[in-house]
Amino acid sequence: MTPAASKLYTDDVSLLMVLIDTNPFFWNSIKSTLSFSKFISNVLAFLNSILLLNQLNQVVLIATGYNSCDYIFDSSASQNQNQRAESLLQKLEEFVEKDESLCREDSVDAPGFSLLSGSLSMALCYIQKVFRSGPLHPRPRILCLHGSPDGPGQYVAIMNAIFSAQRSMVPVDSCILGAQHSAFLQQASYITGGVYLKPQLLDGLFQYLSTVFATDLHSRSFLQLPKPVGVDFRASCFCHKNTIDMGYICSVCLSIFCKHQKKCSTCGSVFGQSQAQDSSTPDRKRKTSVDK
Amino acid sequence: MVRWCGESTEPNKPIPIYFGPKTTGAHPRFLSRRLPSPATLPQHLTTENKDAAAILRSLPPLAKKYVLQLLYIDGPVTAKLLDEWVLPDGVSKHKVAIDRLIQLRVLSETLDRKKEATYRLNPTFQLNLQKHILHGGILPREPMPLNVTVRLPSLEDLDAYAVQQWECFLLHLINSAEAEKSTNISSSMMKVFQRCLLNQRDDREPPKLTESGFQFLLMDTSAQLWYIIREYISNSEDHGVDTADLIAFLLELSFHVTGEAYNVNTLTDVQRHIIKDLADLGLVKLQQGRKESWFIPTKLATNLSISLADSSSRKQGFVVVETNFRMYAYSTSKLHCEILRLFSRIEYQLPNLIVGAITKESLYKAFESGITSEQIISFLQQNAHPRVAERIPSVPENVTDQIRLWESDLNRVEMDPAHLYDEFPSRDVFESACDFAREYGGLLWENSKKMRIVVKAEIYAQMKEFLRRQKE
Repeated sequence: MTPAASKLYTDDVSLLMVLIDTNPFFWNSIKSTLSFSKFISNVLAFLNSILLLNQLNQVVLIATGYNSCDYIFDSSASQNQNQRAESLLQKLEEFVEKDESLCREDSVDAPGFSLLSGSLSMALCYIQKVFRSGPLHPRPRILCLHGSPDGPGQYVAIMNAIFSAQRSMVPVDSCILGAQHSAFLQQASYITGGVYLKPQLLDGLFQYLSTVFATDLHSRSFLQLPKPVGVDFRASCFCHKNTIDMGYICSVCLSIFCKHQKKCSTCGSVFGQSQAQDSSTPDRKRKTSVDK
Repeated sequence: MVRWCGESTEPNKPIPIYFGPKTTGAHPRFLSRRLPSPATLPQHLTTENKDAAAILRSLPPLAKKYVLQLLYIDGPVTAKLLDEWVLPDGVSKHKVAIDRLIQLRVLSETLDRKKEATYRLNPTFQLNLQKHILHGGILPREPMPLNVTVRLPSLEDLDAYAVQQWECFLLHLINSAEAEKSTNISSSMMKVFQRCLLNQRDDREPPKLTESGFQFLLMDTSAQLWYIIREYISNSEDHGVDTADLIAFLLELSFHVTGEAYNVNTLTDVQRHIIKDLADLGLVKLQQGRKESWFIPTKLATNLSISLADSSSRKQGFVVVETNFRMYAYSTSKLHCEILRLFSRIEYQLPNLIVGAITKESLYKAFESGITSEQIISFLQQNAHPRVAERIPSVPENVTDQIRLWESDLNRVEMDPAHLYDEFPSRDVFESACDFAREYGGLLWENSKKMRIVVKAEIYAQMKEFLRRQKE
């Protein structure tokens, strides 16, 4: 599925972008199985072990909040090893507070979605910056530690991010912490050739992280990694942001709609009236759907 | 050629150093050579937290991964389970990784009741790594506060210093062959080079570069560094220094932060001595304050624990080779000029440019000093100017082919001292002489029409005896 790496960088030096979900509504919902602090300590140990494996390895942590996302930690920027964890935690706390202050304005109905599209784009921007820094750079990959349900409103943005990751050959690994599978991340990992995993027992999160997600891209060609069981390819419609099994597709720009439209809202093409009256028009396409 | 320590069957035998220019995949590390003395190793692993980390970093990628995977598994793991981790493509890499882990005593292998092999991590090693992962890397010593150290060099200055010091040492190596004396390299370091790079017959004659010395000059910096460090360790061993301490200190050094100052007073006497030697090579910079003195590790020192295959530590190239065998090297360094002179004719030198030509004569000179065509080609490829480095091939094919052809030209004609016999009295005598020579494996050429044979000089005596008997 993924194009083979066209450029050989270095053997096993990696740049790992870790996106952590800090959506408070999600963490509140699973606090009985995995508390946020326990999750963070697992992630810290994981980051330490990645940095331990090779001293050229680089780790960047991005927090995906409810309203915003931000860089929390960059191993290449921080010189002092001893206070690594302290500065990270402090930055994270500041971020969570800021995120909360943005939240107060509108009343929120549970369950909230976190801003995955934003943090994915930030990660890809960072990677592009590294790509342009010189001929020799570590091999990048993205790891999403995600739990919130998919926000159908972000469908287009996320798909764009996924395709841009595919183009720059950056695998997106996803580790699902919530109860539900994430169709977005299933597609992301499938399209970019990353690993999608929903751990059975969240208690052993570190073991999952170190066994599966610590594998550098060089070793992935030799090791047995979890295979996708099934991918939910369902799309969201552009008009109401609903996840749909079947819908209408603009024959010009491929925009997806759940109901018949007279005019495409994206490209402005006018659809023929006569065909629209007939419900079995060729205009109506079936979307593939694969059962989970 | 030795790739991994795992390929050697006897753990105690020193492993010959791989000398080729291709370092991808090969890790001629001192760990592989020095550590495996069964009694001392486990003890060594226990001593320091950071040693465990350094050992982990020196492992092949797959082995690192396995250690991480086994880190929180307390019980033994069966070999069968480990085998399930790999795809069919990776079986050989898997074996190498496991062998390497066993040889460094990171994994211990035991047979259980059902005669199945089980593995488990060395408990002390495991504990140390767990600590490291939970608490992050702990620095070996605290850097000095900024108010004591007056003016620290910037990172760029420090890099420049390291490069300059290293080049100075390499130039010294070349120049000592030209009997030019420069004295900023200490005698203890010179002894290290004399172990194998230089060859001095007696005191009056200037030392000459040996074959390995020439090859050494064409290696990339990290390979050179490792080579010197290994020689340094063996040299100290001969002088009765405890190598375990030395290795521990070198490993420790690689975990210091580049550009920070560390107080020399925190070192032991032996370590202070080592630091002085390392300063000659540009691994550390020594500075003297009003009261205290301190050392600043450079990139060379902190890169010690990177595996050699990592090309990311490599510098930017500077050589452009054209299809007409002309070579343009954008460099101001005298060292580069001297290295290029090893195998090419330098025609003129501008302030930032060295122009030369690769000629048959210049190459023959290089081949005579023991440099191979592959080493020259890989040197040109590794140091290709960024403008041409993106092209494939970075060195024109006709040039690389010709360099190889010229080398094989030298090997094409084989010389055997021989004797020609002719004017045989009869065909019978000729044929029996032929058979006789053939029997001894000395027949090089025969012409039955003119009754002439050419026989190797080795069997001249037997041949003479045989012909004398034939006459009778």
